[in-house]
Amino acid sequence: MKYLTILLIGSMSLMGASTEVVQYMNELSSVAKTENKSFAGFDAARGKEIFTSTHTGKQGKPMSCTSCHTSNLSNSGKNSLTGKVIEPLSPKANPQRLTSVKEVTKWLKRNFVDVYAREGTAQEKGDVLTYIIKN
Amino acid sequence: MKTFLNISLAAALFVGGVYLYADDDEMEHARPAYSKPLSKQDQASAALYKKECGACHMAYQAGFLPKRSWDKTMKGLDNHFGTDATMDAADTKTIQNYLMTYASKNDRITDMKGAVALRISQTPHFVKEHREITQKMITQPEVKSIANCTACHTKADAGSYREREIHIPNYGRWE
Repeated sequence: MKYLTILLIGSMSLMGASTEVVQYMNELSSVAKTENKSFAGFDAARGKEIFTSTHTGKQGKPMSCTSCHTSNLSNSGKNSLTGKVIEPLSPKANPQRLTSVKEVTKWLKRNFVDVYAREGTAQEKGDVLTYIIKN
Repeated sequence: MKTFLNISLAAALFVGGVYLYADDDEMEHARPAYSKPLSKQDQASAALYKKECGACHMAYQAGFLPKRSWDKTMKGLDNHFGTDATMDAADTKTIQNYLMTYASKNDRITDMKGAVALRISQTPHFVKEHREITQKMITQPEVKSIANCTACHTKADAGSYREREIHIPNYGRWE
């Protein structure tokens, strides 16, 4: 089991998340297990659905993560309100991404609230991070 | 005598320079602490402010709003113009302290006759300076909003709003 964890951390790092972010995702995974008995690991496909689907956001208007980030994670996006350029989310295109837990938790909280008008669950956060890592 | 002349020349140039600068840069009064170099700690706070707030929009110079406005802004980050702009408590406090320290003390720029302005674009000096700007100039895609200083003020990021640095997209220089 220990070997598996190390392997998991190693392979995730190769894919673009830093060790501390991988550690954070392991914590999310533990919480997800307690919140959802049938939880069997994070899933990029579920993450993609979270990322690309449209919801009534904080402002009461239709909103999606792609409204600002676009549907191609390797492209830069634009803040839909201010027009400010947002660097690509994909760690492959932007090595700064998913390197700091402080940054990751800050933006997950803000952006879930802006798009879903609520915070994300541990499973949702892990799914969307997994989607970002793999794209 | 020559030394005296040199000193007077330098003094004249200095005074002239300051005069021209103040005349041209209408926002000079918005930055009362600008002439004093920032302490190491304030430099770090300024950098944090630029990083955190500048992630979504230009980090507007603190001197554009009075203390009471920054206080209200920083206490309402969970609904910051319709978005969640919260961050951890320590960073929030550092940025709040920084903004309060360098806030405007000049009511000519920021007095709202008792109301607490959250939008810099509603402060009297801002309104006066932008009175000739048409809606079309503002709403075009390259500008998007009156809050997008850098779209026209090419050095706004560095705190400079000189007229000769203005370039309005699809309209050109402001003369």
